This record gives sequence, C-alpha cells and structure tokens, in this order.
Amino acid sequence: MSCSFTEKISSLIDGELATAEAREVERHVLTCAECEQVRADFLNLRSQIAGFETLKNPVVSNRALKKILTQEDRVPVSGMRWGWSTPAIAFATLLVIGAIIGFVFYQTPNTDQQTVAVVESPTPAPSPEPTKEEEKSATPKEEKRPAPAPRKPIVREPKPGEQFALVSEPDPTSSPAERVRSADAETLTVIHFEKSETLLRAFRNVRLNTSSAREEVAYERKRAQQLVYQNMILRRAADANGDVHLASILESLEPILLDIANLPDKPDGDKVRTIRERVERKNIVPLLQINSAALARALDD
Amino acid sequence: MASEDDEFTMLFQDFYPSLCRFLECLLGGRAPLAQDLAQESFLQLHRTAWGTLPPGEARFWLYRVARNLAINEFRKSNTRYRLFDRVVEALRPAARNPEQEYETRERKQLVLEMLHTLPEDQRTALLLREQEQLSYREIGDVMNVSESKVKVDIFRARAALRERWSKRAKTAGASAG
Repeated sequence: MSCSFTEKISSLIDGELATAEAREVERHVLTCAECEQVRADFLNLRSQIAGFETLKNPVVSNRALKKILTQEDRVPVSGMRWGWSTPAIAFATLLVIGAIIGFVFYQTPNTDQQTVAVVESPTPAPSPEPTKEEEKSATPKEEKRPAPAPRKPIVREPKPGEQFALVSEPDPTSSPAERVRSADAETLTVIHFEKSETLLRAFRNVRLNTSSAREEVAYERKRAQQLVYQNMILRRAADANGDVHLASILESLEPILLDIANLPDKPDGDKVRTIRERVERKNIVPLLQINSAALARALDD
Repeated sequence: MASEDDEFTMLFQDFYPSLCRFLECLLGGRAPLAQDLAQESFLQLHRTAWGTLPPGEARFWLYRVARNLAINEFRKSNTRYRLFDRVVEALRPAARNPEQEYETRERKQLVLEMLHTLPEDQRTALLLREQEQLSYREIGDVMNVSESKVKVDIFRARAALRERWSKRAKTAGASAG
C-alpha cells in the first residue's frame, strides 16, 4: 500500500470524512487502481466480519433474560452507603492489624509450604468484575456489590441457514445471453448497494450542530437523487427477473433514498434524525453489506 | 418497576444477540463463554446502572463492561473453557445440511482466526465498527480512547487483515496449482 490515500479510504468507507475530503478521495479512487483495489478489499473484509451470524435462537435468549430478571434485587448505586461509626472503624482497623501481625508470624517458618500451596492451587474462580483499571473507566461510580451466582454455561442450539444463502442461484435452463444480462444487472446491483451503503453511513454521521452541516446534507441529498433513479431501474429489473429477494431489498431502500433526496435546503434536525432512525430500524446498512458481498461472491463463482 | 423491566426486556432483545456476537469474535469463537459474559454484562446493568444511565447510554455501557469482562478472561487460564467448548461442539445435534453447515463453519473459523491475530484494541475497534455500526466517536467512548486512535486502529486492523487475506489466497492458489 504505497499510495498516500490508502489510510483515507478506511475513513471513506466508514463515512467519517468531511464532505470535501470525501469527494477528493472518491475522485482519486477513480484514477488509482491500487486504491480501488484497497477499497474493494476493505469492503470485502467488512462483509466477512459483518456476515458473522448473531444468536438467533429466541429460546436461549429468553432463558438468559429470565435468569437475569429473577436474580436477587438490584442494588441501587445511590442507595449503597457505608454507615460505619468511629468505634466500628477503630475495631475493624485493630482486627486488620492483628491479622497482619499474625500472618507475618505464621508465615516466617512456613515459606516453602506456602510456595507449594500456591503452585498447587487450582485456576482461580472466574471473577465477574472487570479489571481494576478497566473497571475504573467503565463504571466509575460503581461500588462493591455482592458476587453474582456462579454462571451456568448455555448450550448453543443449531443455527438456521446463513444469510448468504439468500441470493438466488442462476437458472441453469436460461440461455447464455440471458445469463450475461442477468450478470450485468447483478454487477450494477452490487455497485449500487455499495454506493447506497456508503451514503447511508455518511448520512448517519453528519453532525447537525456544525457549521458545515448544511453543505454536508446538500452533498448527501445530491448523491441520493442520483441513486434513487438507479434504484428504481434495478428494482424493476429485479421484478421482471422474478428475483423477489433483491426486489424487496431495493424496495425497502427506495423510500429512504427518496426521503434523503427530498430534504430541503435547510434541513430540520428532527427530519434528519427521523430518517436516521428509520435506517437503523430497518437495519438496511447490514442488509446491503451482506447482500452486496453475497452477490459479488456469486458473480465470482 | 414493571415498566422498567419492560424497557430492560426491550433493550435485552435488541442487543443481547449482537453483544454475544461481539464477544464471540473478541474471544476467538468461544460461543458459550460469549453468551455467558453477555448475560453477565446485562446482569450487572440490571443490578447497578439501569435507571441511572442517560437515555441511549446503556448500549455503550454494555459494550464497555462486556469488553472488560472479556479482557479479564484473556488474563485467566482458559483451558477449561476451551475443553468445555469442545464438549459442547461435539454434543451439538447433527446439521440438517451438512455440506452447507461445514462451509459456514469453515468460513466462520477463518474469520475468527484472522481476527484473533490482531491486537485486542484493534480487534475491538474493528468489530464495533463493522458489526455494530458505531461511529469513531462512539467507539472512542466505549474504549475510552480518542477518535484519532480509533481511526488509526481500524485502519491498521484492516490493512493487516488485507495482507493476511491476500497471503492466504496466494498460498491456496500455489497449493492448488
């Protein structure tokens, strides 16, 4: 990776570049074969990692939830107060000092025995608490609480078929010309999915309270206007080919692209947020990722 | 209380599967342990922080605690968990489509192996980005690091995986030829 732009490609596919910079990198990618390859490879890696199945068995999830809700009552953070009086503290201090002195006296003649005991001790019981330094950063206000009941491992149930299997296989009875046409449409769909995914990621990361927000939204709007026509054409092609799966993905993408394309010059923050929520709710970004990768793989085969 | 539990149930249903996946990838494929730690993270949330966190923060809190629990696991001897995982794997019912199941498992294993070669912070950042779709800022919040470190970590992780992937492809091509 000798090109100086390669690091920016990582941020580009994450939608984390400012509009002007993103445009510059996109223009560069069109002219640099190495960067184009890097982008394709990064997107391929993404689909491999994002395609990793989640737990789909509701029985296992419900069992875990039930276990959590039926555990002992939670300890409120604010309600836990040390109500020790001065004599109690003094008594506890004396006890600790006594214990240390006793331990030191007891320890001196038995050093060898202790070493053996340490070596022979079994693996320590798993501690549910994060490490001290990590815990500090994770839950700074948390106080010591009773250890939870020992964990019972959950046996995983078999998972249903992978998401990649959703892509329909080419019909062996179709003519070679038909197959070429279908492959062309699929290639266009892969590119369309990747572009839409990048757009939705970038749209999700637009910061509304910055001065450049208007410019950024205007850029996303323009991209959406370009993509929405492509989406309509591909959806019709998928419908005509009887590819219900692709057609349904394109159908759920279309209203989102339309909404972004129709945003006003001065977009209302609520409107942008509503679209973002819809994107999240529909889970459209991972869907695009997985399906573009699956289609690309099918084309390679 | 009931409505609080309803909210908790909704949060659980939304994020338990993806938290399990995140932990499974982070731990190198130890699915039962991942489910265990995900459960433990939710339990801690329910016991302590639930109701005290600002809206929308619970998800990041969960990932933060889950990561800490996973780091603790790395530091411990993990032999007995590996043994347990193998026993569970052996006892799993036979797949309905063995060929497809085999292929899925192979691909999954390959992804896990490649992820496992990355340093923990790069792996976490990459998983949170690719699987959980968190922005660099959100990942920084979860990992308690700056946005620029997240950016660099993700790029390095991708570059390393890309290199390994292409080396692997070359080796496979050479052995096939």
